[in-house]
Amino acid sequence: MKAFLAALLFAAIAAVGVSVLLNAIQEPSSAAFTTGGARVGDPGHNLIGPS
Amino acid sequence: MASFGRFIRLAVGACVFLLVIAASAPCNAQQVNPTASSVKEQQLLQELNRIQGRVSIPDQRSGVLEQPAGRDWREFRNVTLRWIGGIAILGIIAVLVIFYLIRGMVRLESGRSGRTIVRFTAFERFVHWMTATCFIVLAISGLNITFGRPLLLPLIGFEAFSEWSQWAKYAHNYLSFPFTIGVVLIFLMWIAGNIPNKVDVEWLKRGGGIVGHDHPPAFRFNAGQKAIYWIVVLGGGAVAVTGYELMFPFYLSGIEGMQLAQVVHAVVSVLFIAVMLAHIYIGTIGMEGAFEAMGAGEVDLNWAREHHSLWVEEEQAKGHVPSAGTRRAMPAQ
Repeated sequence: MKAFLAALLFAAIAAVGVSVLLNAIQEPSSAAFTTGGARVGDPGHNLIGPS
Repeated sequence: MASFGRFIRLAVGACVFLLVIAASAPCNAQQVNPTASSVKEQQLLQELNRIQGRVSIPDQRSGVLEQPAGRDWREFRNVTLRWIGGIAILGIIAVLVIFYLIRGMVRLESGRSGRTIVRFTAFERFVHWMTATCFIVLAISGLNITFGRPLLLPLIGFEAFSEWSQWAKYAHNYLSFPFTIGVVLIFLMWIAGNIPNKVDVEWLKRGGGIVGHDHPPAFRFNAGQKAIYWIVVLGGGAVAVTGYELMFPFYLSGIEGMQLAQVVHAVVSVLFIAVMLAHIYIGTIGMEGAFEAMGAGEVDLNWAREHHSLWVEEEQAKGHVPSAGTRRAMPAQ
C-alpha cells in the first residue's frame, strides 16, 4: 500500500512539476502565433484559451 | 382628334409597360443565385488538390486549410481508428469474459503453505504502480480523444464534455512524463530476467499453465510475462516518442510527420490497452494469489513453486526461501 501511495504521489508531483516547467518556458498560443498587428482579446474568454 | 391623341398615349403607354416587363424578366432570373458560377471548394480541390491562402500571422503554415494527406488522415482518425480500437478493446474484453466463464480462476492447486517469499521489492512495486496508474489515466483520456465525441458527448452534453476533455487533455499531456520515467525504469530494472530462452519455448508449448492444469517450469518471469514486458518497453517507448512529437509540434517533424506519429500513437495505444486488459485480468481475477505479488510484494511459496519453480530453486540456492519453521522469506534480489 505504501508503494502504491508513493507511486501516486510521485506521479502527481512529477506531472505538476512538468506543467509548471513547460508553462514557464513556453509562450501561450495567443502570444506565440500573433504579431503586434494582430490583437487578440482576453485569451481567457475566446477560443484560444487561458494564457 | 382629341380621342386619337388619347389612343396614341394609351398605345405608347402599353408598349412601354410591355418593354419594362420584358426587360425585367431575365434580370429576375439572374438574381436567383448571383454566385452560381463562383468557385466551389470541390472545384478548388480538383484543380489544386489543396486549399491554401495567405495569412497575416507569423506562422505561414497556417495558410494551408486542406491538403490531400490531411483528408486521408482525417478519414483514418474518424473512421479507421475507431474500428481498430473498438474491435481490439471490445474483442479482448469478450475473449476474457468467455475465457473466464470456461476456465475460471487458475487456482492454487497445492493450497497455501503459510510461508511467503518476496516476489517484488518495494521499489519495484513503486515503479510498477506509478507506470500502471499513469497508464490508466492516459488510456482513459486517450480513448476520450478517439471515442469521446461519438459516445460520451451525447450522454453528458457539450458543456460537461468540453470541461472534462480539457482536464483529460492536461492529464494526458503531463502524466505522460512520469509514465515515460516508469517505462525507462521498468526496462532497466527487469531486463536481466526478460531475455527469452529455451525455457520459454517449453512454457509456451505446454500452455503456460493457463490452458489446462499443467505447471511448466519458469524462472522469475515466464514467457507470458516476458511478452508483457517487451510490449510495455517497446509499445511504451513508441507511444512516448510519438506522443512527444505531437505535444511539441514542428520541433521534430512537419505536418506529415505528425500525422504519421498520430497514426502510430493511436494504433499502438489501442493495442497496448487491449494487452493491458489481459494483464490486469491475469493479475487479479484470472489467477489465485497473483495480485499478492504486486500488492504486498510477497507470494505464497506454493504459488511460487507452481508458477515459477526454477526461480524458487534459484532463491533457495541464495538462501532466500524460508525454512519450514519460519513464515517470511528474505528479500529476493
